[in-house]
Amino acid sequence: MSERVTINLFRPEGERLRQEVAVIRIVLVLWALIAFGLPLFIWLCGLGDPQGFGASWLTRTRIFGGFPLHYWLVAQGGTIAFVLLCKLYTELLARALRKIAPPWHGEVGQGGDDV
Amino acid sequence: MFKLLTASVLLLLPTTLFAAVGPEDFSVSYSFKLIPALIVLGTFVLYLLIGLLSRATSPSDYWVAGRGIGPIGNGAAIASDWMSAASFMGVAGLLYLRGWFGLGYILGWTGGYVLLLCLFAAPLRRFGKFTIAEFLGDRYDSHGVRLVTATVTIIIAVTYAVAQFKGMGLVCGWVFGIDYRHSVLFAAGITLVYLLFSGMTGVTRNQQLQYVILITAFAVPLWFLIRNAGGSGLFPPLEYGAILSGLMEGKVSPSAGGQLFGEELAGLRQLFLPWGSGGNIYSFLALVFTLMVGTAGLPHILVRFYTVQNESVARSSVVWGLFFIGLLYWASPVYAVIGRYWNPLGGQSVADMIILSAPEQAQLGPIFLGYLAAGALAAGISTVAALLMAAASAVAHDWYSTVLHPGCSEKEQLVIGRVFTVVVCVFVVVIALNPPALIAQIVAMAFAVAGATIFPALVLAIWDSGSNRYGALAGMIWGLSMTLVAMVGWMARIPLFAEGGLLSATSSALVITPLALLINMAVSRLTSDKVSESCLDHSDSILRRLHRLPERVSDEKIG
Repeated sequence: MSERVTINLFRPEGERLRQEVAVIRIVLVLWALIAFGLPLFIWLCGLGDPQGFGASWLTRTRIFGGFPLHYWLVAQGGTIAFVLLCKLYTELLARALRKIAPPWHGEVGQGGDDV
Repeated sequence: MFKLLTASVLLLLPTTLFAAVGPEDFSVSYSFKLIPALIVLGTFVLYLLIGLLSRATSPSDYWVAGRGIGPIGNGAAIASDWMSAASFMGVAGLLYLRGWFGLGYILGWTGGYVLLLCLFAAPLRRFGKFTIAEFLGDRYDSHGVRLVTATVTIIIAVTYAVAQFKGMGLVCGWVFGIDYRHSVLFAAGITLVYLLFSGMTGVTRNQQLQYVILITAFAVPLWFLIRNAGGSGLFPPLEYGAILSGLMEGKVSPSAGGQLFGEELAGLRQLFLPWGSGGNIYSFLALVFTLMVGTAGLPHILVRFYTVQNESVARSSVVWGLFFIGLLYWASPVYAVIGRYWNPLGGQSVADMIILSAPEQAQLGPIFLGYLAAGALAAGISTVAALLMAAASAVAHDWYSTVLHPGCSEKEQLVIGRVFTVVVCVFVVVIALNPPALIAQIVAMAFAVAGATIFPALVLAIWDSGSNRYGALAGMIWGLSMTLVAMVGWMARIPLFAEGGLLSATSSALVITPLALLINMAVSRLTSDKVSESCLDHSDSILRRLHRLPERVSDEKIG
């Protein structure tokens, strides 16, 4: 069955796919850090609150004329980070694709006939 | 057409008989408001006229329209598809009710686009067909997968549309001074009239206008609101911080007493602390995860990528789409915080109406209020239109013409689609009459379904060549049945599935989705010898296209 196509996100085969998956990995790690790391960080900092509401230095700090830091980080910081992350992905991928010559040039047609 | 309309009205009538009044008391200020009513009716007549005028063009325009669109235009289209009553009213409502915890909705609904971009955007563009059922059905070479995906599409559309009708019902009730039940029926009536009269092209034309109306209606009042609350009105999303930290010290509007003390102060301060409104870190992460995988698996968003010019446009349109959506979500907390400023002690009964009640209390004036109401209705109508059309095409195209009755005429498909639109609409209205949760929560349940069924099937379809039709079916049926059980459990108030429970209907994907992935992979490996050669060839040719692998010369010799 060696002639079959094998695609595996964890074991990419072929130069092009390896490059693409490397970019995906970088972006997904950063994504997880923001999506899950940020709430976990706020949770860890707030563990000392005797009332259990998660109050900490993060909730006492004020930035930009009044935003509590823990609120701003999730309400606006997360959004900014995700937009930048999307931009990073397109940039990294464009660079990776420029580095290696694609197997053949041009876009795939609108398609649908050969399936 | 008129026969259909009469039929639909007749169908709608009996639903009033067995509707019960929900637990929420939807009272804001229910009296007939002349100027808002005129504005709302005016915009609706405009949609109808545009719909009627653009009827003559052929239905294929609907799809072709997208092909010439660049990244910014497609990004705006993604954002406008996204901007439903849930984003317009629901997120502000949840941020009002749950304080900091509600931010999980913003984090989840923006972060999902990163997943979507990394894993799906470019391969889906390379595939280049129209529906998700078609893609999964082709990749797994299975009518079973196609049918299940079409069913999931319909369930998502119904759940999502319930939330929209709740929002539209609340707004219509507020504008025309009628009770919630009648205004849901009224909203459903105008949506059906709109859909059946406008047709597909009309709906597409209108979406651009509706986006302009809803985004201006959402943004412009903020400048006036923030001034009335003591800000300078330069850029509201950066100014509400002062009001927010004031709230945490008990400073509220003069009309609400100016300063809170004792219990009331403690309650308000607690609301904006991370776990002060009852959530914990598990429920927060589960919610964020569910909304993210749901976003990446939502059929009517994924479809946007089939129709752009090329892969690089597909990728940059996600960046732009997320940028526009981000702008919107910068505004939602402003409504919530200003709502608390004017109405510091409100509970669930006012939450979903906060974007109308806060401006009303801030003396915004009837023209703005009317425009705001028109914006909320535009958000609801455009989303319901897209959802009902997705559901109708799932039935007409993926069920009827592909599986049940191959080779039927286009006209037959169209009739099936129309009839089904009316049937789904009636079904949605019956549920919306007695809504099970807040708007944003109902929508989150639809995301849980998408995230537990379509997302895992799609990830493995694209990124795991070993995944086959048996694995996909097993994984999807597991995901679908578990999320449906969670939804029923939520409505039956079983603690496990209720808010904050381990498998809460709004956040069940954190547990269910990884299991769905494992089930898909395990069953695929176990059944790998049962898949026929021709089926493998078929999947291979699709995988080659998805990843731009070179075609094999020796293809014909196999099988």
